Amino acid sequence: MADRATFIAGVTAGLGRTEVLLPSSITETASFEDASAAKAKADKAATDASERSNELADQMAEEATKAGWKVHRASNSEDAASYVASICVQKKATSVLRSNHDALDQIGVDAAVTNTGATLEKTEHSGDYSQDQIEVSKSKAFSADIGITGVDYAIAETGTVVLHPRSGLSRLVSLAPPTHIAVLRSGEVLDSLDELFAMERNDFMSGELAGSMNLISGPSKTADIEGTTVTGIHGPLEVHLVILADS
Amino acid sequence: MKPLTVNFRSKAAMTLADAQIQQSIEHVYTGFYKGRLTAAGDTPDWEDLRTKGKAIKDHTIAHLDYYLGLLADNVEKNGGSVFFADDAEEARRHIIDLAHKRKIKTVIKSKSMVSEEMGLAEAMNDEGFETVETDLGEYIIQLANETPYHLIAPAVHKSRADVAKLLDDDYKDGDRVPDATELTMMAREKLRGVFERADMSVTGVNFAVAESGSIALVTNEGNGRMSTTVPRVHVAVMGMEKIIPSIQDLSTMLRILIRSATGQRISTYVTMVNGKRRPEEEEGPEEFHLVILNNGRQKLLEDPQMRESLNCIRCGACLNACPVYRKVGGHAYGWVYPGPIGAIVTPVLTGLKDADNLPAASSLCGACHDVCPVKINIPRMLLELRYRTAEGSTDKDERTSSATERGIWKAWRMGMMGRRRFDIGSRIASIALKPLSRNGWLTKVPPPISGWTSTRDFPAISMSSLKSRLRKRNEGSK
Repeated sequence: MADRATFIAGVTAGLGRTEVLLPSSITETASFEDASAAKAKADKAATDASERSNELADQMAEEATKAGWKVHRASNSEDAASYVASICVQKKATSVLRSNHDALDQIGVDAAVTNTGATLEKTEHSGDYSQDQIEVSKSKAFSADIGITGVDYAIAETGTVVLHPRSGLSRLVSLAPPTHIAVLRSGEVLDSLDELFAMERNDFMSGELAGSMNLISGPSKTADIEGTTVTGIHGPLEVHLVILADS
Repeated sequence: MKPLTVNFRSKAAMTLADAQIQQSIEHVYTGFYKGRLTAAGDTPDWEDLRTKGKAIKDHTIAHLDYYLGLLADNVEKNGGSVFFADDAEEARRHIIDLAHKRKIKTVIKSKSMVSEEMGLAEAMNDEGFETVETDLGEYIIQLANETPYHLIAPAVHKSRADVAKLLDDDYKDGDRVPDATELTMMAREKLRGVFERADMSVTGVNFAVAESGSIALVTNEGNGRMSTTVPRVHVAVMGMEKIIPSIQDLSTMLRILIRSATGQRISTYVTMVNGKRRPEEEEGPEEFHLVILNNGRQKLLEDPQMRESLNCIRCGACLNACPVYRKVGGHAYGWVYPGPIGAIVTPVLTGLKDADNLPAASSLCGACHDVCPVKINIPRMLLELRYRTAEGSTDKDERTSSATERGIWKAWRMGMMGRRRFDIGSRIASIALKPLSRNGWLTKVPPPISGWTSTRDFPAISMSSLKSRLRKRNEGSK
């Protein structure tokens, strides 16, 4: 087997050199920008998101619709809660999973869901998880009818919802159930992928990079049979985006 | 995977004669090619993005040794392990050993061209692991026991009836053909069960970020997300060139990759993974392994003429744009990578001797260069490989032209390079070919020129040269 040193020495030789040369800075990649530059970019993205929140929410609604989200613009918390409840009724949901996002508490999602007769569970745990416990939470996710989350960010350019899995936000809640509802608050929408990855790089430079990140733009889909687009192959068949107006 | 490049002509002829496949592969043009045009047109800074993408890849490849080291350090820092494999066999052996050690039963694979290089799914099935391709197209191909037809759309050549036969044991010819939605739902049902019981996943890598040890996966179906969530062991496999330096570079690279691949502005899912499950998470893999493969890429790296091909981000745009690929199909190219990029990568990786038809299978129209998101000059490299097969190489495994052929061209060159020799040569040719010409055209000529005249006419060589006619005219006017 090739050990790392031999492998890399082979590459160095392939490049016509005898030792690894430190790359000199170019402007096209961000890798030479230091922590303060990364922070400045991330701060600007955050300011932008709050200053242009209305405009970005409008663009998000438009692009998300194009991406296949069923968008509902809620004028207040009650409106948002009753929309979520109506989806539960429509899907005849008996078991619903939710993430631990403030937005969901703000709209009172627990009452809204349980009033429809469905059971609601938060994807959250404390302490070390054993493999058995992991299996239990996996099978819960696979048998749930609906998964409800907030968003960590949204991206107006592409109609994308961004989630960083963590305690209180399982990887499966937005993936395994056939229906996913995401609740978005004004001010959470970034302009484009540039701003998102500026935020990510700043998190990385300050040692706070999340374990993983999912960008979700519409329902799961495939065009592998005769080029015909079909929604719902491995992930949700239907995705709803509730955009809550400023209160 | 064993290269079958030597069969290019016969495979191409089979595809050309198959009306159903001809119709099916047209989708790469009407769907992907036109989608890409629209998406690129809608992106105001498209050319700047391509320029930036090329600069990022040029820089990374020029310092590949440095970035490989940085990537490995950071993957390990995130709690993952890194395995460097010189060739496909080594990588395959490592993954199979790992699966045995972890007592794995079910392996889910998401789409990865590098794992096709390894013939991984087949090898793992032979070792007794239930190994299932989870990208719908790959799943269909696996059931049919074939190889992918296209980088992005592996089963593009299959009709609904073909798919129905593969998914439903009870389906017979003459039954109503299910629509694409019904077929997709059948596959969803079958694969859901597999996801739930999977204990190991093998995914590819669209981009590996050196500074943070992250990998990014682009999918529409969600199988990439399942693979990075459900099984307790996640193995990601990548060719050693798939690196970018910074997290921030992902915004550029994702934009150009996805638009070029399917014409979407973003895929349904983009997943970035920085190692294994964090302790506070409810699910996620307990182990993360990154396998970095060389498998002949060294030859591309060492060769200044061919190094640029390592910039490839495997979007498939050059396939969709290629008038030859769209007719001869993906299987003709005989190895993992078809189309224009395959025609330069495959001969170098698997040997030019058996693959000398691949660089020749191009009209050099340049469409592949025009659409490449990282501006790889594919036609230049096709010409370079043609030159090597014809005369430019002294290695007999590269130079496939016969001594006779080279002799003929050498004589031709000599004849063309001297005025007197040219005059005498064309005089002889015009006299020799005169009996064969009909109304000023040569329509049927014996070999070797028959190769030309079997499909198109050739103008007969005039009995008097332009020079002699001009001389005559000038004399007349004096």
